[in-house]
Amino acid sequence: MRTFDYVRATDTQEAVRLLADDPAASCLAGGTTQLDLMKDGILEPPRLIDITRLPLHGIERRGESLHVGALATMEELAAEPIVAERLPVVRESLLLGASVQLRNMATIGGNLLQRTRCRYFRDPGVAECNKRSPGSGCAAVMGAARMHAVLGVSERCIALHASDLAVALVSLDALVHIQGPTQRRTVPLTEFYITAAESPEHENVLDHAELITEVEIPLPPPTARSGYLKVRDRVSYEFALTSAAVLLVIDGGTIRQARVGLGGVGSKPWRAYEAEHVLTGAPVTTATFLDAAEATMRDAWTVPGTEFKVPLARRTLVRELQTVAGVTS
Amino acid sequence: MSTVESRPLIGEGISRVDGPRKVTGAAPYPMDFSVPGQAYGTLVQSTIAAGRIVRMHTDEAAHSPGVVTVLTHENALEVGTGPASVLGASPPAPLRNDRIVHHGQHIAFVVAETPEQATAAARLVRADYEAAEPLLDLQDPRAEHLHDPWGMDHSRGDAAAALESAEVTLHSTYLTADNTNNPLGLFATLAVWDGDTLTVHDTSQWPSMVRASLAMAFGIPESSVRVLVPYVGGGFGAGLRAWPHVILTAMAARMTKRPVKLVLTRPQMFTSIGHRPSGVQWLSVGIRRDGELVALDHRSLSSLSMEDNDFEPFSSGTAFAYQCPNVITRDEQAKLNIAVPTSMRAPAEAQGNFALESALDELSYTLGIDPVELRLRNHTDVDPRNGLPWSGKAILECYEIGARRFGWSDRNPEPRSMRDGNWLVGYGMASAMFPYFAQPCMAEATVNRDGSAFVRSAATDIGTGTYTVMAQLSAEELGLPLEKVRFDLGDSDMPDSMMAGGSGLTGALGNAVHDACRRLVRSFVDLVRDDADSPLMGISPHDVECSDGRIHLMGCPDRGESYVDILARHGTPQLSATGSSTPPDAKEIGLSLAGAYGAKFVEVRVDPDLGLVRVARVVSAIDGGRILNEKTARSQIIGGTVGGIGMALLEDTVTDPRTGRIANGTFADYLVAVNADVPELDVVFVGEPDRGTPTGTKGVGEVGLVGIAPAITNAVYHATGKRIRSLPITLDTLL
Repeated sequence: MRTFDYVRATDTQEAVRLLADDPAASCLAGGTTQLDLMKDGILEPPRLIDITRLPLHGIERRGESLHVGALATMEELAAEPIVAERLPVVRESLLLGASVQLRNMATIGGNLLQRTRCRYFRDPGVAECNKRSPGSGCAAVMGAARMHAVLGVSERCIALHASDLAVALVSLDALVHIQGPTQRRTVPLTEFYITAAESPEHENVLDHAELITEVEIPLPPPTARSGYLKVRDRVSYEFALTSAAVLLVIDGGTIRQARVGLGGVGSKPWRAYEAEHVLTGAPVTTATFLDAAEATMRDAWTVPGTEFKVPLARRTLVRELQTVAGVTS
Repeated sequence: MSTVESRPLIGEGISRVDGPRKVTGAAPYPMDFSVPGQAYGTLVQSTIAAGRIVRMHTDEAAHSPGVVTVLTHENALEVGTGPASVLGASPPAPLRNDRIVHHGQHIAFVVAETPEQATAAARLVRADYEAAEPLLDLQDPRAEHLHDPWGMDHSRGDAAAALESAEVTLHSTYLTADNTNNPLGLFATLAVWDGDTLTVHDTSQWPSMVRASLAMAFGIPESSVRVLVPYVGGGFGAGLRAWPHVILTAMAARMTKRPVKLVLTRPQMFTSIGHRPSGVQWLSVGIRRDGELVALDHRSLSSLSMEDNDFEPFSSGTAFAYQCPNVITRDEQAKLNIAVPTSMRAPAEAQGNFALESALDELSYTLGIDPVELRLRNHTDVDPRNGLPWSGKAILECYEIGARRFGWSDRNPEPRSMRDGNWLVGYGMASAMFPYFAQPCMAEATVNRDGSAFVRSAATDIGTGTYTVMAQLSAEELGLPLEKVRFDLGDSDMPDSMMAGGSGLTGALGNAVHDACRRLVRSFVDLVRDDADSPLMGISPHDVECSDGRIHLMGCPDRGESYVDILARHGTPQLSATGSSTPPDAKEIGLSLAGAYGAKFVEVRVDPDLGLVRVARVVSAIDGGRILNEKTARSQIIGGTVGGIGMALLEDTVTDPRTGRIANGTFADYLVAVNADVPELDVVFVGEPDRGTPTGTKGVGEVGLVGIAPAITNAVYHATGKRIRSLPITLDTLL
């Protein structure tokens, strides 16, 4: 590991100013991604700004919104009674997303900003990586591709965004509150990420000197049902091969509202609007769910080794729609 | 040969004597050792799989903070090659020349004052290569093949003719993936020179072989080398060779005149210490409609590295697994530009048994015969290779008791007939064995004037329980309470031991300990032969036994005296004796030496929509001969079963098809079974003490893994009607 400076910011303004002053500095929150990447020689920031003391830990309900401080941990959010009551899809995505040891360290802001697990990105011995060295190529496209993405990708990069939580949050229209050196702004999470097809090296709209301060989750109607299904080879401790976040409001056998997020498939957490269009107003039947699934994944760009994700993602969605709706096949 | 029938088949299930040290962190593993003044090494590895190094760029690294030296093939000490062993030639020496034969080959060794400085400097070492196209595909026709590399190909009868005329035939191809041993403990080496004397702490399953390799490498006598390894954080076969990184660390220590310590990283554990090689197997079976086997033709091709050997005769077990008059087995290895394959728990048998037991299952459906019944019809009590009766083979009992505990008779034989919600339910079974293996082994036993004893041998305890079972056996032989016996191992200065491998150590070392203890008791009896004050005067050493710290006339505890009294009266502080064991000769004893046997019964759940396979139950009925310690033996079977689940469902070392780089060399990416993948595992031991050896034990380190993969694929067939002939069964296989 290269040596680096360590500074601890005491308030958000100071953290942002420190960032603005040093274009190569990085922030340290839970460290569950940042420190791994530094040990592996992928990130070599000369200065690390510890933001864990910033007053961004709270989780608070204001009206029909849940305001989650960027430094709240995954475990804290999962343990909130309101999350269990109104946001099962968020709770399940958190519990399936990491071990309890990691959930106690990892923060919500950090989770949204986690880097891809691509083994070609994470090995400095691999020269071709457009994400690390723009223009160098993509070894993953020609390599062992099973864990990679099929949506929002191109031959330049097929890196997967592996967050489970973010899949649930994009489906819920969560908002990201951002503090910059001169201004605050709010970005819908669905507009926060940049796909690898657009730009392998830029993963989101955050500027260098901006911090996520809070994630705001609009609470769905009390009658909504939701859930998260994560499909993987191993029962635990594995990133999703595919996953589905589903929220349904059902009234008298008809779907009044539907929200669908897909994980394990996109270079960003994927919102499946096309499935929602099919579901909204349709009867609660497996036939509807099959139609909705069929509408997804149409833009998939596969390489040898990732083709199976197209049918698997559809089946995952059908299964979770059935589970949330209480319909058996 | 002495009989063991008077002893219980199942020894007391006591907890590990080293358990408290391990759970409190007091047990020093190789990476825990440090000495004053030591420097730290880091490996630099090739990023091409084939070709040559044109130029090494080391200046930047050499001038990096804290760097002591950077070794490459241009400045490395020339070292000799170690001895050949039962596992083949010694691995090639490191940094010999500019030739690259695999991705991840060591091309430089950076020594610095701290591990962080060494790691940072290693990233600054660059190589210019002249790359060649690597051979990476097992079935690449350009690859050089070794035919029958172990002289174990077998032929009897006329398999071709019998296949031609068989009532029913099956021809199938089976694929098994590269798997990586992945012990949790990272391999480490600490090398300390004192003049021409070398002391090495090393992660090894065979310290005396590492000693011999280091002695030959540096041209010094074996008596000048000491290898220490009191604790090992797992090995699964990876510690059976003197790997290049061990030689490199000692070389760096010699050249820098500093102690040097190296700890491999997890990705380096995939390229530096071996792995179970991928293989393809072609199996043809001829069988009568009544289920009697008439022909087996089993051929294999497995992957091998360019410059090393690997003992992997996949098909060899098929030569004696069942009664069958016409058998041919043929094994080949293809030389590829891959990191060195090596023994991994149940080498060869894990793969070969998968093919054979899958084929028998398939035929059981074709013939409409229950899978257990089909195996009963082909059982043999004699070794079909030599006609000798097995020294112990209770597989019939394994089938019977295993099936009963599992509830095999509840199985509806129709595939896809059992369901639980979204899950299809399937039952499968397989036979298992792991062949007998032993090497010469020695042990020394000492009783002190206070009546305590220590027994020692240069063996290792790789988590199997060697410390514990050898202490138990010694205590039993010497008639001492367990707490009065200390068993020491893990030091090459101790009497020579065989490797902790091939399921052989417990048997061979146990027999050596048995011999040492017998000789020690005899020296006590000799001491009092003419001693008028001793109740044992004039008694033959063959007529005594030991209990409660005393030697006494057999069956007559009152006529005897204690070790303490004998030593005190004769003014002797202690008595010692060395014992040994050598593998028995089958012809001499009229028995074919049997390894362990087992029957495995598995229930799986398959979600056919999502391709998920979950193991719901496993029953393992095992004939391990005499079980010295039921608790540690059970742990061996459980651990093997977990490895078998990994082999069947998860473990796959993926090589990048273009570059030869291992694409999933971390614990996040290479999947081993975690607790959530492992259901309740039922283990039952059956059988009798083995008749072939004095202690009657058989090794159980590997038989636990064998048969799990085919029992799972057979259960998946029963659940789904889909026959899987390629491992692992990742979920996309079943979509």
